[in-house]
Amino acid sequence: MVFLSLSRWIRSRGPDRYWRVQEVLKHARHFRGRKNRCFRLAVRSVRRAFVFATKARKAKKRIMRTLWISRIAAATREHGMKYPALIHNLLKCQVALNRKVLSDLAITEPRTFKSLASLAKRRREEGFLVALGDKGEPEGIFSRIVHSQ
Amino acid sequence: MTSRGTPSRFLKSVLQNGVGRYVCQLKRLSLVFSKDSANSLGVREFIEDGVVDFARQNPGIVVYVAPEKCSIPKIVAEYLNGTVKEEPVNRKTSEEIRQLIKKLSVQSGLEVIRIRKPFHTDSPSIQGQWHPFVNRSPSLRVQRFVKEKSKLESS
Repeated sequence: MVFLSLSRWIRSRGPDRYWRVQEVLKHARHFRGRKNRCFRLAVRSVRRAFVFATKARKAKKRIMRTLWISRIAAATREHGMKYPALIHNLLKCQVALNRKVLSDLAITEPRTFKSLASLAKRRREEGFLVALGDKGEPEGIFSRIVHSQ
Repeated sequence: MTSRGTPSRFLKSVLQNGVGRYVCQLKRLSLVFSKDSANSLGVREFIEDGVVDFARQNPGIVVYVAPEKCSIPKIVAEYLNGTVKEEPVNRKTSEEIRQLIKKLSVQSGLEVIRIRKPFHTDSPSIQGQWHPFVNRSPSLRVQRFVKEKSKLESS
């Protein structure tokens, strides 16, 4: 007597489920807890992780800029000035350095940054002289604007 | 597809290649294809036309041509730092294979993953990196010791 119908009741649901599950789990392997092993929990966590990564690409630019600004502010305060004064006066001296470069200079090239801060300070004082003093030819050297052709 | 979930590396060159002499980082190229099947037609055409010229122009690369029974033809590129890269060339034209081999010959063996910064220096600071005492007066380092004359006089 041979039992034939038993084997017909076992269905193979398809050979590819393992690979489809692994595709999701491979992005969850560095997570904490059961969501790095169990597919049900991993699916939700992986989707959230991707959403956060997408949103963070825009936020990273904002975060980096605030970091640079706080670093430049700290460095200028060491030289007795404030960040808005530095930026505005460097702009008036036509020094077109962006915040990334300024923060890198403040960290790796402290003397260059000191000279930039003193340039901005001098330009500020000349601005005050022009504003408060009598109207005439400004005496300042740094107030003269260079026109590029 | 997260930055922590996918591998990343810093920009570097293999042993400062190019500062002095440039050494081609590709050491071995194996063309694995089948003699009869239709998907290796492009590879066979490339072997007829361009392989010999390529091998002559790049004397530092060893080119192996291996006709064997394989389901899909592939190109195996081995680099000087040990990386092995396999590229399937299934149903590609001879021109596409030429472009692919040119690309492989120009690559170094470093992994093609996200590069964190597009720049790298061994000496980032020339004036000396900032530390909390850079902009403070050196008189902080001076310690004055006063002789206590009054004690000696009293005793």
